[in-house]
Amino acid sequence: MIRDFVTTFFSAVCPWLALVLCLQRLAEGARARRGFRLRGAGLLVLIGVVALAVMLIRIESVAIARWIAAVNANFSVPLTAALAVIVYERAFARPVFFPSDWTACWSFGAIGSVALYPLALGLSSVDPYEWGWRFSPLFVIVAVITGWLLWKQNRFAWLLLLAALAFHLRLLESTNYWDYLLDPIYGLVSMVALTRQWITARAPRRVPPGPL
Amino acid sequence: MSHVASIAELFGGGLAAVWYAGSREGAGDVAIYFSVQSSDDGRWSPARAIVTRASAARELRRYIKKVGNPVLFSDAEGRLWIIYVTVSIGGWSGSSLNVTMSEDEGRTWTRSRRLTLSPFFNLSELVKNAPVALSDGGWAVPIYHEFIGRFPEMLWLEHRGEDIVATKSRMSAGWYGYQPALTPIDAGRALALLRDDDAPRTVSMARSEDAGHTWSAPERIDLPNPDSGLDAIRLTDGRLLLAFNDSPDGRENLRLAMSVDEGRTWSRIATLVEERGGDFSYPFLIQARGGDVHLVYTWQRKAIKHIVFNPAWLDERWSRTTR
Repeated sequence: MIRDFVTTFFSAVCPWLALVLCLQRLAEGARARRGFRLRGAGLLVLIGVVALAVMLIRIESVAIARWIAAVNANFSVPLTAALAVIVYERAFARPVFFPSDWTACWSFGAIGSVALYPLALGLSSVDPYEWGWRFSPLFVIVAVITGWLLWKQNRFAWLLLLAALAFHLRLLESTNYWDYLLDPIYGLVSMVALTRQWITARAPRRVPPGPL
Repeated sequence: MSHVASIAELFGGGLAAVWYAGSREGAGDVAIYFSVQSSDDGRWSPARAIVTRASAARELRRYIKKVGNPVLFSDAEGRLWIIYVTVSIGGWSGSSLNVTMSEDEGRTWTRSRRLTLSPFFNLSELVKNAPVALSDGGWAVPIYHEFIGRFPEMLWLEHRGEDIVATKSRMSAGWYGYQPALTPIDAGRALALLRDDDAPRTVSMARSEDAGHTWSAPERIDLPNPDSGLDAIRLTDGRLLLAFNDSPDGRENLRLAMSVDEGRTWSRIATLVEERGGDFSYPFLIQARGGDVHLVYTWQRKAIKHIVFNPAWLDERWSRTTR
């Protein structure tokens, strides 16, 4: 019963953060046009409560959060934590991630998705998804990446540590480590972000990489 | 419409069966029905809906568009288990698998539990045939995937306390048959017979030498398959029995074939039903403790039929075929 509650709760965190981010953007637009004064922690709390209320709206007896869970109940920890970082940075105008942290975040999502999804959907007889059920080379590879990022003082390493902790605590509906590291939306977002970085890098005026 | 039946022997005697039925396949009124056959008079109880779209949505706490493909089996402690399919978006290739269990021979069922078996939105995991009990108390369940690639897989289920632990392994990749029927040969070896949707429309077969953890590439055998479900069991005397549609392009018959050499050769031994324009499909076989073989199948997509035959009848059919 407790596990059901925990997995239900965590399946809603990522969509809730995505909605908070959208509302933040709307609030920033309103502030620019209409002199909307609320900002910082006050605005974040207000937006968080509004987003929570939206997630709890029931349609055909199912809350919107659970409609989203019908499509994806296992949002990866890096995507969820990256959204939390973006929301925090927007709310308090304080950078948490440096450009190299974002590059690591999007590279991990993009490369991991390319390595996982085609094979898991039947491209070859090797199914890397099997490696996520129990201790396997996947755990060693992720541990090495995490250690290397920590040594490089890259903050994306903390997101990988959070993913390992969440897997250990079984915070998601899935019991497969891959689902704590990656999800298709994270993969897609990562590819879009890397493409944007690449286009920006090729443009005459260089802008450092950052959140979407 | 009634479709995809499965049958299991109850701990205290008698049989239970499940299938899905409704106004049409995939309709909102489709539910999973349950019935028990009394060991006293052989009558089947009135069918009772045990999983509906609404009950699945409530128990799984999410939108459910349709339910289907229930597979019923019983364990050594007398519990009944059902693995069934739900779809939230899209067609059958958008399926996910769920488990429910009964400790009182089907009178009440536990809250359904969703199994996460695919990294891509947990899409496209389906089941059709019976699992095989493992010596450690777990189950090897033949399942299949049909989104982009269509291939057979093994679901490994364990019941640890209140928790159900599910893992999965690949039988083959790409587009090599699906809806595996799992048939153990001995403690280490097993066969999987596969439905095929590709030319030349024959049954395929894969072999495992390590208790189902790895499989040979599927090879075609000399029996046709009209892209239709089949089932096979190993009888207590070691012979293999296969129920299948004996045609490359239709479901107008349902036949039995037998193998005495671990699936290398098959002989047709009986025609169970044959009718021009008929639709007889999705056979499901078990051998009960007393030796009788029970078969349930979809009759004209309108009803579920149950046939019983004893070992003596199988012997007689086999000797007539090989005479």
